Amino acid sequence: MTVTILIPAPLRRFTEDRASVQVEAKTVGEALTKLDELYPGIRERICEPDGRVRRFVSIFVNGKDIRSLQGVETPLADGDEVGIIPAMAGGR
Amino acid sequence: MIRIPREQYEAIVAHARQEAPREACGLLAGQGDRIEQVYPVPNRAELAVEFFAERGLIPPGRDYRPDAPGAIAVERFFMDPEDQFRALRAIEAAGLEHLGSYHSHPATEAYPSRTDIELAAFWPNMLLMICSLADPARPVVRAFRLVDGRVQEEDIVIEE
Ligand SMILES: [Zn+2]
Repeated sequence: MTVTILIPAPLRRFTEDRASVQVEAKTVGEALTKLDELYPGIRERICEPDGRVRRFVSIFVNGKDIRSLQGVETPLADGDEVGIIPAMAGGR
Repeated sequence: MIRIPREQYEAIVAHARQEAPREACGLLAGQGDRIEQVYPVPNRAELAVEFFAERGLIPPGRDYRPDAPGAIAVERFFMDPEDQFRALRAIEAAGLEHLGSYHSHPATEAYPSRTDIELAAFWPNMLLMICSLADPARPVVRAFRLVDGRVQEEDIVIEE
C-alpha cells in the first residue's frame, strides 16, 4: 500500500524540506513508524511516547480527521493521503 | 515589510468585527512578502480548553466549564483542524504559499500575547497578523514574526 504523507511546514526540517513523503503502510500508525525510520525524530513531534497522537496535532486521511475514524489504527488503501497538521492557536 | 491588497486587509477587519466578542482567526497566503488571499477559519476554542489548560494558558480565575460555551473564545482561538487543513490544501491548489495566520484581539491591543508567542513557536518564521478592536471605531492591524523566540514587527503596506 503506497500512501502519501503530507508534511506541514514546521516539520519539513526533518524531511529535507520535502512537502510530501511516500511510504508503504496498512495503517496510520504504521505510516508514522515508516516515516520515522526515514526521518528519525519526526514521530515524537507527532505522537506521545505511548503512541497516541499529540493533542495539538491533527491527522487526516483523505481530509478526514482520524479522531472520527479509528485513530492510529485507521486502515490505509493504495493512494491514500495522510495529512499532518499542528494546531494553530493563540489568544489575547 | 509586507504588502496586502486593500480588500484583503478589509476582509480581516470585517471578519474580526463579525466574530466579536469572540476572537476571529484565519490563514494568510500569497507569495514572498505579499499577502494575496486571506482564508477565514472557524474558531473552535471551546473544544480546546484542555489544550490551553495543560500548557498553563488559561487566564487565572477563569472557569471555562463545558456548559459555558463560547466563553473561552472571547480570549483564545483554536482553528478548526478540518477547516485549517482544507484551507491549507486550497492555498496549495491556488499555487500560493502559506505565509502565516491572523487573529483578532476583540478588547486588547494588537500585540502578540504570551499565549500567541508560546503557540506560534510551533510555526516558526510565520507571519502573525493581529487585528485589535479595542477601539471599535478604529481597528488596528499589525504584523509580526517570531524569530528565535523574539517578536519582530513587520510594517504593513496596503495596496490600493
Ligand atoms: Zn493574540
